[in-house]
Amino acid sequence: MSRWNSACAFVLAVLALAFPFMVNAYWLSVGVLAMFYAIVTASWALLAGYAGQFSFGHMAFVSLGAYTSGLLVKWFDIPIPLGMMAGVLMCALVGSFIGFVCLRMRGPYLALFTVAFSEVLRIVIVSENEVTGGSGGLEVTPLFHGRTDTPFYYLGLALLIGSLAIMQFLVTSRWGLFFRAIRENEDAAAASGVKVVRFRILAFAITSSFAGLAGGFYGHYIGILTPDIGSVDQMGLVVAMAVIGGAESIVAAMIGALGLEFLVEALRSYGQWRLVLFGALLLLTIRFARNGLLALAWQQFNAILPLPVREGVGGRGRFGTGTTPSPQPPPARGGGVS
Amino acid sequence: MPPLIEACDLTKRFGGIVAVSNLNFAVQQGELVGLIGPNGSGKTTTINLLTGHLTPASGHIDLRGKRADGLAASDFAALRVGRTFQITQLFSRMTVLENMLVPGLARPHSHKAAATREARQHLEFLGLAALESLQAKNLSGGQQKLLELGRALMLDPDILFLDEPFAGVNPFLRDEIIVLVRKLHTDGRTFVIVDHDIEALQRLVHRMVVMSRGEQIADGTVAEVRDNQEVLRAYAGV
Amino acid sequence: MTDYLLIQALNGLVIGVIYAVIAAGLTVIFSILKIVNFAHGEVYMMGGYFGYFAISLAGIPPLLAVLVAMALSFVLSVLVERTLLTPLYSPTTERKGDYGILITFGISIFLRALALIIYGPYPLRPPSFWPGVFVVGSLIMTWDRVFAGGAGVAMLIGLVLFMNRTAWGEALNAVSQSRESAAIVGINDQRFYMLAFGLGGALAGGAGALVGPIYSLSPSMGLLPDTQAFAIVILGGMGSVAGSIIAGLMIGVSESMFVALFPDPSRSLTYAQAFSLLILMLVLLIRPTGLFGRAHVAME
Repeated sequence: MSRWNSACAFVLAVLALAFPFMVNAYWLSVGVLAMFYAIVTASWALLAGYAGQFSFGHMAFVSLGAYTSGLLVKWFDIPIPLGMMAGVLMCALVGSFIGFVCLRMRGPYLALFTVAFSEVLRIVIVSENEVTGGSGGLEVTPLFHGRTDTPFYYLGLALLIGSLAIMQFLVTSRWGLFFRAIRENEDAAAASGVKVVRFRILAFAITSSFAGLAGGFYGHYIGILTPDIGSVDQMGLVVAMAVIGGAESIVAAMIGALGLEFLVEALRSYGQWRLVLFGALLLLTIRFARNGLLALAWQQFNAILPLPVREGVGGRGRFGTGTTPSPQPPPARGGGVS
Repeated sequence: MPPLIEACDLTKRFGGIVAVSNLNFAVQQGELVGLIGPNGSGKTTTINLLTGHLTPASGHIDLRGKRADGLAASDFAALRVGRTFQITQLFSRMTVLENMLVPGLARPHSHKAAATREARQHLEFLGLAALESLQAKNLSGGQQKLLELGRALMLDPDILFLDEPFAGVNPFLRDEIIVLVRKLHTDGRTFVIVDHDIEALQRLVHRMVVMSRGEQIADGTVAEVRDNQEVLRAYAGV
Repeated sequence: MTDYLLIQALNGLVIGVIYAVIAAGLTVIFSILKIVNFAHGEVYMMGGYFGYFAISLAGIPPLLAVLVAMALSFVLSVLVERTLLTPLYSPTTERKGDYGILITFGISIFLRALALIIYGPYPLRPPSFWPGVFVVGSLIMTWDRVFAGGAGVAMLIGLVLFMNRTAWGEALNAVSQSRESAAIVGINDQRFYMLAFGLGGALAGGAGALVGPIYSLSPSMGLLPDTQAFAIVILGGMGSVAGSIIAGLMIGVSESMFVALFPDPSRSLTYAQAFSLLILMLVLLIRPTGLFGRAHVAME
């Protein structure tokens, strides 16, 4: 690791750990939510940006994880960590199932199917209000009892770092290579021996599990769980976070989530205009800066002040996006490779 | 010794069209076979069937004496059946080396260091070694074709199906591909090559199979096929 | 009881016509721009509001307001197309499929947020086109529904005539079948994409304006039609306007019957929303690229 990277990481670590002591209770709660969104957004970026599976049903798994844990803890009085694990397991199973049924679907059809699935789940939760509390909400036992959000923040931070570590490990391993291969060209991947079926299902199972983990954390933090967490608009917020940060990089997406969540709160006085602003920002980013604003900023920064770049499998850029700068190809050797 | 790969009464339909009809086609280890025929004769479909990209409507496929017709494309690849595509299919935004590492690391019991070494050896052989860090989409058309061949080689294939390797290549590259294939063949790999460039194939292969309208109409040496009336008729569109 | 079922079926037919109009608009967009447009329901929603404000702010009579809504929806769609969709036609844009999904999803999010700001979250109900009810024997239907059904049918007929009898419409047909061939014959692509997107939007907006007095307007009213319209388009054959009309009617009627016959009345309305969603999921499972008609052609 270069010295610059180490220095950066150190400063960030200190800031992250000291955060609860630097801000008031309101901003601390924002910080907790930021941790939640960061996990959700990073896992969506892994599924959609990295593995190329554009699922708009990600929030359904957040919802599923939250409700599973909340309900199990409420009815069976099991310890919350166990409930959260059950939520993760449920999401892994349902996620695998969705990945399986979507195997023959590509691109927009996958997106359509997952958005329909997400809405159906939300409708079921709203309709079965005797079980789930419906639109009125479900009371969920909080993880920590106390007057401060600090333990929630540190737990969220730990979960985020843990999730990120696992995702980064995946991304730099051969599985990451296979995910990218499937994203780039599924037929070529199959012809290269990549078990496409297995990895598509895995992509869904793994990322849905992270969503479920985040959902469980969210439920046991927020105390009142509503079906809105699984709504299309929430999905839109996560998509915006990932795309604006940089959908093909886990880290960039996470930064997008943190940034946007704080921005959402910072602009609280603008009320509903914030959502319009983010929608517009999302559209502008897709239209003019497809790799995300972070990549754009990095490009500009690099143009002024070039910095050493960390390499992954086969050589990848700063954010592990798999794109390297492409200079002119060197002259071909004799033999006329044109 | 059973044939390396054998198609038995293979049939494939798309909607109402019969693309391949009762095809019987066997390739022995060490052969260099050319597969030709007019457009729409079912050549690419045959390759797709024999590499798991399509499942036959009826008939079966034997690979090294064992049934293989239900298997997925990735299974065929794992069984060391390699192929290239009519339109080059690369991992565009991944580097040349990464393109090679995908099949390299998909192989069971593979290690990154060994796979990277092997990839670099193949790239050297193909003349692409200097381009290792370039994104595949930035390669020229000819370089992309060679990369696709390299990717297939990473499977350590017993048999390679090349789908129109000479399509749209300049004469220098064509000669180079012929040299490369000959070398690989001498090293022990079996080839089935589909192309329209009959002249190039004649210089390369020993055996020629001709298809027309989904059926095999000739199978013999280059000379035998060249004088075959039915083949001439098929090409003349009669 | 049978009267109740019959009324439900007729209501279903009316709503089916509305679905058909929305789906027909989506079909036009899909077959010419070759994208899955996630924002279609939001144009429908906007059309409803355009109609409402045409009446309340400009004093335009309700019947005319529908036409105004269609015109404004056309303009909105063309604006969206020109500013955000042009990369879909450029050879330098990579991964057009991903772009199409993201941008139209983004537009849907944006328009919904915009509507929330401008119109507020509370449902609005435009005044009736024609107050009162239409009675035949024991069958009762509000004039609004009758008008909606009739106007919807008129829009569909208008669309079919346009596609088959006018030069523009035939050109659109040509482009939808083969962009390259159309270009060779000298049909300028870009204007047709504008026209197609605008036309599709106008139909959706008109449907929204028709539905306003019946179901009232809210910023999220486009969410369901977004996915519903796709169920219909895929069922009806991807590129076929006639197919989407038939499928729209079928879904409208079966949805109404579903509500009528669902054993638990307290849940029937909410689950009715899931009805078309489930149909969409089913269709996608059975035929991931659509049932009949042309298979989805990738942009690249």
